[in-house]
Parts: sequence; structure tokens; C-alpha cells
Amino acid sequence: MTENFVPPGQHRNLRACMVCSIVMTQSRFLKEGCPNCEDFLHLQGNQDALYDCTSQVFEGLIALADPSKSWVAKWQRLDGYVKGVYATKVSGQLPDEVVAVMEDEARIRYIPRDGSATEAD
Amino acid sequence: MASPSEDVSPPDSPASDGSGTMPSPGRVDGSPAIARRQSEDRLDAGNDDEDEDPEEEGEETAPREDDDDEEDEEDDDEEEITGHRRKRRRERRNQFLDVEAEVDEDEDENEDDEDELNELKDNFIADTHPDDLADLPVGGETDDRRHRELDRRREMEASLDAEKQAEILRQRYAKIRTGRALGDSAVVPKRLLLPSVDDPSIWAVRCKEGKEREAVFAIMKRIEERMGTKEELAITSAFERGGTHSTMKGFIYVEAQRQADIMVALTDLMNVYPRTKMMLVEIKEMPDLLRVTKTPALEPGAYVRLKRPPKYAGDLAQVIDVTDTGLELRVRFVPRLDYGLHEDVNAPTDAFGAKRKRPVAGPRPPQRLFSEVEARKRHSKLLGGGTAGAKSWNYAGDEYVNGYCEKEVKLQTLIVKDVNPTLEEVTRFASGAEDGTENLDLNALAASLKASTANASYLPGDIIEVYEGEQKGVIGKAISVQADIVTMAVSEGDLKGQTIEVPVKGLRKRFRNGDHVKVIGGSRFRDEVGMVVKISEDRVTLLSDHGNTEITVFSKDLREASDSGGSGTLGKFELWDLVQLDPSTVACIVKVDRESLVVLDQNNQTRTVMPSQISNKLEKRRHAVATDRNGNEIRLDETVKENGGEARSGKIIHIHRAYLFLRNPSQNENAGVFVTRTTAVSSVAAKGAVTASTGPDLTSMNPAMKRNPATGGDMAPPKSFGRDRSIGQTVTIRKGPYKGLLGIVKEATDSNARVELHTKNKTVNVSKDDLAFKDKLTGQEFNPNSRGGFGGGRGGATPRGRGGLGSATPGGWDGGRTPGAAGGVERTPAWGARTPAVANGGRTPAWKSSGDNAGGRTPGWADGSRTVNPYDGSRTSYGGGNRTPAWSSGAKTPAYGMSDAFAAGSKTPGYSGGGNDTWGSKTPAYQQPASNDNWGSNQQQSNNGWGANSYDAPTPGVNMSAPTPAAMNAPTPGAYSAPTPAPYNAPTPAAAPTPAPGWGGGGGGGWGAPTPQAMDAPTPGAQQGYYAAPTPGAYGAMPETPAANWQDDNQPRYTDN
Repeated sequence: MTENFVPPGQHRNLRACMVCSIVMTQSRFLKEGCPNCEDFLHLQGNQDALYDCTSQVFEGLIALADPSKSWVAKWQRLDGYVKGVYATKVSGQLPDEVVAVMEDEARIRYIPRDGSATEAD
Repeated sequence: MASPSEDVSPPDSPASDGSGTMPSPGRVDGSPAIARRQSEDRLDAGNDDEDEDPEEEGEETAPREDDDDEEDEEDDDEEEITGHRRKRRRERRNQFLDVEAEVDEDEDENEDDEDELNELKDNFIADTHPDDLADLPVGGETDDRRHRELDRRREMEASLDAEKQAEILRQRYAKIRTGRALGDSAVVPKRLLLPSVDDPSIWAVRCKEGKEREAVFAIMKRIEERMGTKEELAITSAFERGGTHSTMKGFIYVEAQRQADIMVALTDLMNVYPRTKMMLVEIKEMPDLLRVTKTPALEPGAYVRLKRPPKYAGDLAQVIDVTDTGLELRVRFVPRLDYGLHEDVNAPTDAFGAKRKRPVAGPRPPQRLFSEVEARKRHSKLLGGGTAGAKSWNYAGDEYVNGYCEKEVKLQTLIVKDVNPTLEEVTRFASGAEDGTENLDLNALAASLKASTANASYLPGDIIEVYEGEQKGVIGKAISVQADIVTMAVSEGDLKGQTIEVPVKGLRKRFRNGDHVKVIGGSRFRDEVGMVVKISEDRVTLLSDHGNTEITVFSKDLREASDSGGSGTLGKFELWDLVQLDPSTVACIVKVDRESLVVLDQNNQTRTVMPSQISNKLEKRRHAVATDRNGNEIRLDETVKENGGEARSGKIIHIHRAYLFLRNPSQNENAGVFVTRTTAVSSVAAKGAVTASTGPDLTSMNPAMKRNPATGGDMAPPKSFGRDRSIGQTVTIRKGPYKGLLGIVKEATDSNARVELHTKNKTVNVSKDDLAFKDKLTGQEFNPNSRGGFGGGRGGATPRGRGGLGSATPGGWDGGRTPGAAGGVERTPAWGARTPAVANGGRTPAWKSSGDNAGGRTPGWADGSRTVNPYDGSRTSYGGGNRTPAWSSGAKTPAYGMSDAFAAGSKTPGYSGGGNDTWGSKTPAYQQPASNDNWGSNQQQSNNGWGANSYDAPTPGVNMSAPTPAAMNAPTPGAYSAPTPAPYNAPTPAAAPTPAPGWGGGGGGGWGAPTPQAMDAPTPGAQQGYYAAPTPGAYGAMPETPAANWQDDNQPRYTDN
């Protein structure tokens, strides 16, 4: 199973989730939703949500093989997520209402992935 | 222990407490607690684990417990009142519980929770544990109370509204649903996530640049492919931090426990080179690998550059709107439209009738605001949606508002970093106000510029200020600059005296009001210089030195102007330099300001330019020659006068094509410089006039000098014309480091020679004095100049005597002078007789003398004079006087003495002094050449012409016509030419070598020989021409009675002159 592999030709269609930073093709997001955040982002089949909550602008790809053991995953707060390709930085801002839903309903504190959070540390 | 005794009392309390509704006095209420405690004490050891879990739960159930807490607290209060009970209890429990808990307020809660839980346990245990039963006499009652409490709690819970309950439930279970919670990790501060030795290590592995992403995906693919197989990859992650501007490109980073795992994982992967040196990343550096810096959000008004489409690549655009996600923007930019001007009409059309796009050939159209009128010309079909009021149009699929093209673009198609807009570009976006003034949003510009450091240039010595970061406010002087780090010596504040390193990002240059600064960098005010009048933030307003206009620039674009001007130079430009402004314009610098120059161009216009506007500096061409309106040669440093107009005069400082830049120090305007054309001036002074000497300047009056202004001032140096005689000679060096070496003279000046050494392939500069000339064939030493010298010396001597003679019979002059003429008629015979001798002798010597110098000359004459004293005498004097050389040499002086006339008249004393009209006329005759068409034009312009003519004329003509042709020829030349040419020819004559011998002989016979040589020797056609010329001319013109003619013709001319 090589579901997380994206051939170079498809790289231009990649998007990164602004919440968990997982990187997948747009079509896969649309088909399957975000494997980590689907519960509150509801990206599956939802083009608008997809555009709002994922970004084409990201950098620093991470191939995550073992989220539980990897320090990189821990540092990136990816432990607990599924295996896959993630981004170190995802530009773009999650719309406020999505953040609100996320924090209220899912009780998940939103950490922006665009670098603004790290600077605070 | 006291507890047992206390425990005794509780038995009553259950009774009183029994109803549970009664307000419970502490004492009574305390009993259950005690019971609990006891049981707890006993059970603690075993139940520790159980205790923990419920505790955690406790937080979430907090609301429910609030009431209980109150109760418990009451309990506690009671207990405290009752003394040591609480203390005791805690001590006991401390054996098993974390002491820390006691400190915190939460601890109370925990305790309470525990209490509560223990209560439950108690209930639980009470039934079963025999000890409890033993301790509690009224165990049953206690149980009952518990039940009742529980009921109460349930009641309370029931009373909470459903919503709250739902909330509680969700809180309790929400996390479980998402498994490992994001919320959880969010709480953990990053510093607790720092890597430890237990974490896997990270290695940096070389990777093909630009292929990092592909590599990561390839690794992902391999991970998944091998997952669950026996060769499952042992790496935990792999990542890249590539990017065109990243410093980490060319690497991927792989996280694994062992390096060997990486080798397995990466072998045979494309673009990854695990076999090259793999670098282990230090633990403390690991977080840096994943550092993320926020890209500053783009605000409306900020500037970006477009990457696409190609037509606009690199163009500046201004953000006018940003979507929520910040990933899409609306920007405006100045369009590049040609409105179909270069459209390929014949381009094939596809099925949809649209012209297939062809790559745009040639340069893209310039940036211009959209013009509706232009668009209508060819593309009215494509234009639409415009209303004049809104100034908004649709054209060819794009929207144009206020002339700008507005477009929705994606963030990734923009260059956001290091935009560095120049003020010039930015001014295109200046929103023009109603009144036409430009309103530039400097704040937006500053925001665009701030992040960019590429443009900021700091130099050691700049005064800088830190405006960002920990060292904010520190002021100092830059010591060194390395890439983005500036080392500065702090000059103010706490850190004074220290040297710190700061990133360029947080720096700005610091100026004070009144500083004199120069604009550098990429603004359109570049090179402006002015005084700082206002500083706000990093924007500095300065008052320009010229024009007195205020300009505002960023402090980073400023630099302290170098010391105040006044040195007369600006960079490589100096006052009075000739510079090229554009291909067709040259100008002379007439004023040097601190940072600008005032120039006078060839069209007589003065303008102010900056050094950067000057394309080139024209070196002074020392040998530039032009002709004035009279056809006279004019050269640098000569004084000329304008004909007509203001008749200004001035010294030539530049000759550029037909333009002369003259300087007249007495004129104020333009530093005394003015420009004129060569055809508008005439030369007013001889070249020699420039060099002032004490006493009357004879040279400047010497007509002979005028003939060839190119010669040096005084006659002193026997200028050789044409090729230096020493060139090509074999020489030995007599002095200096090369002493004794043999070589060949390759080049020579008056005083120095460049000698190519035989011994090694080297050419050295040696003073001519240090050379010994060797005959190429014989190797015999000789002095190429010596002959002349010889002759000279002799001449000098002889002449004196003769001079005396000559002087005695001044009368002879007339004849002598225009010997040809006079002689022609009267003397001819005499001449003739003499002629041979004279001619030869006179000539040659003359030549020689001139060659050698003055000395040689005179004597020559003298020789000639021998035959005819008067003649000679006159000659000598003449030659001497006229020929500066004679004068200067001093040898001649006698000549002076000889003829009063000479002494009196500095120049052509012969003329004035001599009192001989004829003579006078003659002399002038010489001068005439300069001004007179006959003589002057010919002579000056082309010696050759003369030479030719003269040559031809004299010999044949003279000979032919003249009865005594020989005589004619001979004498004339001698007489005439001797004087004049002498100075000129001086060098040539030097050739005279032959004569030398003649001289030596002292006899006339000797002379004969010399003459020819002399003639020949002079190589220079010019000189010969000269020589010959005069004579012949004269002769030729009036073969028979030249004297008469001459005098008549010439006299008036002279007077004119």
C-alpha cells in the first residue's frame, strides 16, 4: 500500500491541512477527508471547507513512518496522528469559525502551523 | 494514639446525624470523616492505585462535587477546631501520598476527593472489613448515612439541567473519541518536547538540490511498501527543508535509531546519496532543523512581485486585498499592453476561433497605465464594462481600474520576500490626489522593505541603531559586516564599549538632524546630497543641496556624505576636466560641488550633473592640434582670441573636434571657461610665449619660431624631428644597474632611451647620457650627436671672429640677407664665385650648427661669412639673434655684440637694429610666412609642399634662369634658410656629422664636403623643404633681381604685420 505516495507530477495538486499539516493531494482530501481532523473539519466531499482549511502553500515535507517513536513527530505535535507526509510549515489561516468549532466542540486547541506559534515559545 | 479515644465519641453522632437533614454541628458531622480516615489508614497501602484513578476523574466531575466540597470543607473546619485531628490524619496519610499535594490549593480538592472516594470505599469496605466493624461500634448506622448521601448527590445531579450534564459527559468522553488528543499536546510546552538522548538521532543526507520533496515522497513510498514485511524500514521519519532560498537545501534529514537503518532505507533511492558523508545532527540543533518562521502576512498596500505571467515577471504589484486564508490576493499592477499593435494577424486560429497563443517575440511592452482610447483602436471588441466614472474596464479578460490591472492571484505566484521596491517603481502606485500631488504610502512601502535585508548595505563606520530585538536601542558604529551579521562597537548605553554582533534585520542607520548625507541605493534620488532636516522612524527627510527640494528616503538608503567638498575633485572628476555626457555632447567641468558637477557643454550651456550622469571622462589629448580661422595650428595651452563677438581671448584647455574650451582667468563666469569653435578664433601668440622668461622673450617674437610651434619653447634642446637618431643604435650602458650591458635603443625621448638588452629579453629605461653608442659593425664607439657638437663648438669659436668681421661690414647684410636677391643682381658674380664655397659652407654649417645647437649654426654662417664678411657677419648675427639657440647657447652672444641691431632688437634685431630696410623687410619676410599666404600658409600648413616647391623651384628654376645658378642656389639657401631653418632644423642639421669633419678641416674645402651631407642628413623632408623652400621661393619667384622684388613686395607686408 503506497497510498501516501504522490508522484512528482501530482505535486502541484498537493495541499496541506492547516490543522494537522498532513500533505495529500486535493482529490484525496476531497475523497477521504483529513485522516486526523475529519471529525471537526469535515473536508470529505466539501470543496469549500477544503479550500478554507487546507493550503497549497507549505514547506518542509516530513515523511512520518512511526509517529509514536519519532521525536520529529513529537516536536511537530504529530504524535498520535496517522503515518504519512506532513509539512513543517503551512501558510494560511484557518477561518475563525472553524477554529471556534474546533476548540469548542472538539476541545482541541488550534495551533497555527504557519510559524506564528513557534515564535511565541 | 488519640484517635481511638476520639473515635469513641462519634458513635453518638450517627444518632444525631441520623436524619441527615439536620444542620450538622461539626462534632457530629466529623464522625464520618473519622471513620473514613480510619478505614483509609488501614487500607491506604493496598488501595493506592485505586485512589489515583478516581482522582483524575475528579476534575471532570468537579461541578458535581462542589457541594460535597463545601461539606467537606466544613468538616475540615470542624476538625481544625477540634485540634490535632487533621494534622494527625495527614501525617498518617503522608506515608503514602505525595507530600507536594499539601502545598497546593488543589490539594484540598484532591483531599476532598479522596475523602469522598474513601467514603465510598469506606462504605464498601465497612461491610467487609472486620477491623472496621471492630472500630466502629455502630457500623450499620454509618452505612446508612452513606446511602443517604449518595441519594442526595443523585438528586442534585438530576436537578442539573440536561445541557450541563451533556457538557459534563462530553468532557468526560470527548478525548477518548479522538484517541491521542491534539488538545493534549497543545498544552505541553515546546521546551518539554526538546529532544533527549533517548530520542532517535537525525542524520543529514545529501540529496540532489531541488529534488528534496520527491525524495521525501520516495521515502514515504518505500516505508509503506515495506511495512509489515520483514525488511520494514526502521527509520521513524524523514524530512526536508528545501526551497530555493533555504540554506538547508541539498539535504534531507532522516530520523532513525541507528545509522545503518538509514543506509537500508535510502539505498537505491533516486536523488539521495546516503553513501556520501552523512552528518549526524547534534541533539541541541535538532529543533533548529524544524524551525519555522512566520511569513509576515501581507496587508493591503504591501508590495509584491509577480512571477507569472511571464510578461509581468518581476513587475511590482501592490496588494489591495487578501482573502481570509491569506493564500489568495488581489493585486494591482501597471499593465504592459500593446493593444494589439504587434499582434500576429495571421496567427492560426483554433477551433474556437481564438488565436492560438504564440510566445511573445521581442521585448515586452513598457509599463503604461491602461488607456481606454488605445484599447478602442484595435480591440474595441475586447473592451467592455467600462464606465467613465468608475474608470473600470474589462479588456481582454482582465480588469483595469484607474489604469492599473487588477487581478486575483495565488500566493505562490508571487514573490513576497526581498521585494525591495524602488521608490521609482513605487511612485507608479502613488495614488494621485485630486490636486495632482502624489500621495505615497510610505508605511506600506516600509513594510515591504523592512523584511528585506538584501538591499541594506552597511559599511564599517556607519552609525547604526538596533531597533528590534533584545538589544533594541543600542547605538554604535559598525566595525565589520559579514553577510547578515554586523559587528558593532556600542557607543551609547549600558553596553558601551562592548562589541556585539547583530543581525542586519534589526538594524537601521542612524542620522541626526543636520547631518550631511548622500542618497545611495536604489531610490531615484540616488546621489542626491543634502542635509537631514527630519527623521521619523526610519524615514529621513533631507534638504537637497541643489535645488533646495525636500526629499524623503529610507535611512538605509543614506550614507553620511564624505567630508565637505572643496577639494576641486569629485571622484575622478576634476575641475576643468573634459567629460562626455552623451555620445554627442562633451562638457568641461567648471564647478565641482560636493556631490555634483557644473559643466559647460559644447553648446555653451551650463548644467548641473551628477557624477553618475557622466558617461566618461576624456583624457586630455596633449597633442591635439587644430587650426584657427587663419589656418594656423593651435594647440593646447596656446592663447587664442575670438574674432568678432566679444573678442574674448583665452588659453586653450581642451580641443574637442571643432570646439575649443578656453579659459580666461580674468573672467568670472564659469570659472573663466568658455567654449568656442576653432574657426572663430585666431592664434594671438606664439607657443613660446607661454613660458615666461626673464627679459624680453625673444622666442615669442621670433618669426622663425612661429613656423613650427611644435618645437619646445627655447631652442635649447636641439629637437630632433622625426625619428630620434639614437633609435636603432647599438649601445652600451655606462652607468646604473645595467652598466656594461649591450643593447639596442628601441625608443627614445629627448633624455631617455629604452634599451633592449641583448643579454636578456628586457627593455630598460636609461638616460641617454648613460649610453655609449657603438657602431653596429665595427663596435667602435661614437656619439651620434657628437658631430654636431663638434661642429657647434667650432662654429661657436669661429663665428665670433667672423662675427666681428661681419659686424664690421654690416652693409654686407643687405646683400647677405637676401643674398639671393641682392646678390642675384649685383653680386651674382661675387656670389657665384663664392657661392660654391658659401653655399656649401654656409649651408652645411648652418645646418650643422642648427643641428648641434646654436653654436653650430652661427659658425656655419661665419664660415660662409668667411668668403664674404659682411654677409657672414650679418648672417651670424642674424642666425644667432633669431635663432634662439644661438642666443641661449651663449656662443652666439658675440653675434649680438657684433650687430647692434641685434642687441637692440630682441628678436629680429637684425631688422630693426640693422636699420636696413631691406633687412627689416626680410626678417618680416620670415614672419610673413606665418600670416602671409605665400609664406605662411604654405610653410605652416605643409612643409612638404614647400619643400617640394622650393626644391624644385630653386634648383631648376634658379639654376636655369640664373646666370649663376649655382651661386644663386647656394647662397640663397644658405642665407635664408640658415637663419630660419636653423632653429627648426637644428636637430636635423645635427646630421651634419659630415660637416664636422669639414669644420675640423677648417678650410673651405672642408665645407664643400659637409654641405651635401648636411642637406642629406636632415632627412626630414620638412626641414629640407624649409630650407630649400625659402630660398627657392624667393629665388624662383624673382629669379633675377630678387632683392628688388623682395624688398618691394615684402616691405609693405611686414609693416602690416
